Amino acid sequence: MGAEAMPAPEPRRPGRPFYFNTSEHLLRISREKATTLPELLDALRHCPAASVFQHTFRTLQEHHFIRQGFSNDFAHWALSDCNEPALAERLAGVDVREFTSLEDLRQALVGILEDHLGQNPGGRPRTADEPFYFCVADIVVMPTSFAPDSLRGFVDGLRQVSIHSIHHHFIEARLRLKLMSNDFSQWLLEEMQLPDAARAVNRIDIYTLTMENVRQQIIRIVERALA
Amino acid sequence: MQPIAEKNAPQASDAHGLAHSAPLPVGAGNRATIRDFRTPPAPPPALHLDDYRTILGQANLDGLRCLADDLKHKTVKWVNSTAVGGGVAEMLNRLVPLLTELEVTTHWDVITGGNDFFEVTKAFHNALQGNDYQLTKHAEEIFLMYNEQNMQRMQFAEDLIVIHDPQPAALVRARNGTSAHWVWRCHIDLSHPNPQVWDFLRTFVEQYDSAIFSSQSFSRQLPILQYLFYPCIDPLSEKNKQLDEETIQAVCDEFKIDRSRPIVTQVSRFDRAKDPVGVIQAFKLARKYVDCQLVMAGGGATDDPEGATVLQEVKNAAGDDPDIIILDLPPWCAVEINALQRASTVIVQKSIKEGFGLTVTEALWKGKPTIASAVGGIPNQIIHKLTGILVHSVEGCAYQIRYLLTHPDFARHLGENGREHVKENFLMTTNVKRWLLLFRILNGNRTQSLP
Repeated sequence: MGAEAMPAPEPRRPGRPFYFNTSEHLLRISREKATTLPELLDALRHCPAASVFQHTFRTLQEHHFIRQGFSNDFAHWALSDCNEPALAERLAGVDVREFTSLEDLRQALVGILEDHLGQNPGGRPRTADEPFYFCVADIVVMPTSFAPDSLRGFVDGLRQVSIHSIHHHFIEARLRLKLMSNDFSQWLLEEMQLPDAARAVNRIDIYTLTMENVRQQIIRIVERALA
Repeated sequence: MQPIAEKNAPQASDAHGLAHSAPLPVGAGNRATIRDFRTPPAPPPALHLDDYRTILGQANLDGLRCLADDLKHKTVKWVNSTAVGGGVAEMLNRLVPLLTELEVTTHWDVITGGNDFFEVTKAFHNALQGNDYQLTKHAEEIFLMYNEQNMQRMQFAEDLIVIHDPQPAALVRARNGTSAHWVWRCHIDLSHPNPQVWDFLRTFVEQYDSAIFSSQSFSRQLPILQYLFYPCIDPLSEKNKQLDEETIQAVCDEFKIDRSRPIVTQVSRFDRAKDPVGVIQAFKLARKYVDCQLVMAGGGATDDPEGATVLQEVKNAAGDDPDIIILDLPPWCAVEINALQRASTVIVQKSIKEGFGLTVTEALWKGKPTIASAVGGIPNQIIHKLTGILVHSVEGCAYQIRYLLTHPDFARHLGENGREHVKENFLMTTNVKRWLLLFRILNGNRTQSLP
């Protein structure tokens, strides 16, 4: 007859709680518009950084429920309205997690477009089925009621906050942190000294999962660390 | 054609005395489970934010309340041209109580005018959506005179004034002397406006602080900020609420729809812009390879002379095909439409011209694999092969019907994604959130464009 199973001891207390915030966005239609690929390139060179953010990072939040086949608005337009699958594939391959600067991200997208247009010169550019309308978002960051100061509380918060909060901390954070990381991993590393969990969370592939799947994976990783 | 709408049809009348072709019920046993659809139902009970909890989750409701916190002592005025009927009034009837519950004080005013005013504004409405029209000085004077009368009648003491659509747009001339922010909410497609009417209207639009459009493609180049608010549906309305299986079955029985076979449905007015004959052609092509029935459910054939002509064209195209079920329903048949959509295997919206296409939104919300034309606001809702299927022809529509009926896993996946897309972007509660965000932004609350 064994002793009653004891719950695993809670790891160390963090120096600071994890403050779950969330962000909401209001879309604004900006002036830039493209009806051909050269026009897209020109607009992409000159549009505000906020537009680059909207059509890459932010659109992932709007389409958080799609597991496969959606990466950014430029790739989607290249395929669906310009019928350029090769270009669309290359644009879709741009992984926002590799960028902590929107200017670097802009240059990566511009480079792909320049390369594509350079390989396919001459002739009058084909007009897209529908124009590409550049947008920007006005963002409001808000607190939530979750500010856990324990790993168990952190898991509880992860379960209860909105998908927008997960996106805010997991995807958008790198632009704030200027690190190839995210708020969750940073907290697990710096406050809980859990480098393996921090690394595992950072390796979750957002392009093959829905944001709800991402949430569940983070929870599983943290629960393993708790076990 | 199954003669439901024709041979079996008694004449029912609506509240306006308009006759409707209505099918006879199939069996008394079934009739007991649903109301008589020929009689307008009682208005639904008022809804509260907490009613949306099971759909949105607590976190999203908390987010709405948090957004509203800084706006509790702010006041908003809405002005439009009708209190009942039409999409704007329907939206305001839902939006105003929810904002009031969030303690944002809202006043809703409706402009008044004579027949001459509404004739002019109806012509403006059509011209702004691309119809031919010769603007006259007399029409301009009528438009301005009634706007002036309403301006004198109304007070604009609120912090935010939202004017809906072109009819009251000139009220913005009252903004001098007020500290309010003025917003013009345009619900119509301005992508190809009649230049004369638009040039006249834009002199007023440019006096607003910002404008709101329903799709990027509906917007114009303007010197003011332009926001994007998608139209929305209410998930708890009669047309979109969850229905029990018994109700769905009863409606299908009533209309002699065989649920043991695949059902392809288009819900829309009998209007050439919705290409109902094209839908029948696509259905007939598809049925060569896969067994299915077609339900064409709509209205407008009794109160619109052209609608009656189109309905006859549809009946001619259907011929005596027993698998094509044509239903001309009165406008209050929201539950019946809801049940028909939920009973469907695939939903089609093969429009040639479309506004935003809220019937597509309704179909997606019900998790139905949806095939629709890439026109108007539909591409905002249907991301091809991810949240639905976009088509450009009868043949394309026919092929996709066949494909979805024979690949149910893919069809189910589309339906699931479509529902999530609506949940994220096209629900009434998302619209509440957009208004709160806009109020905060105009109110000077801290916002940013980058994280």
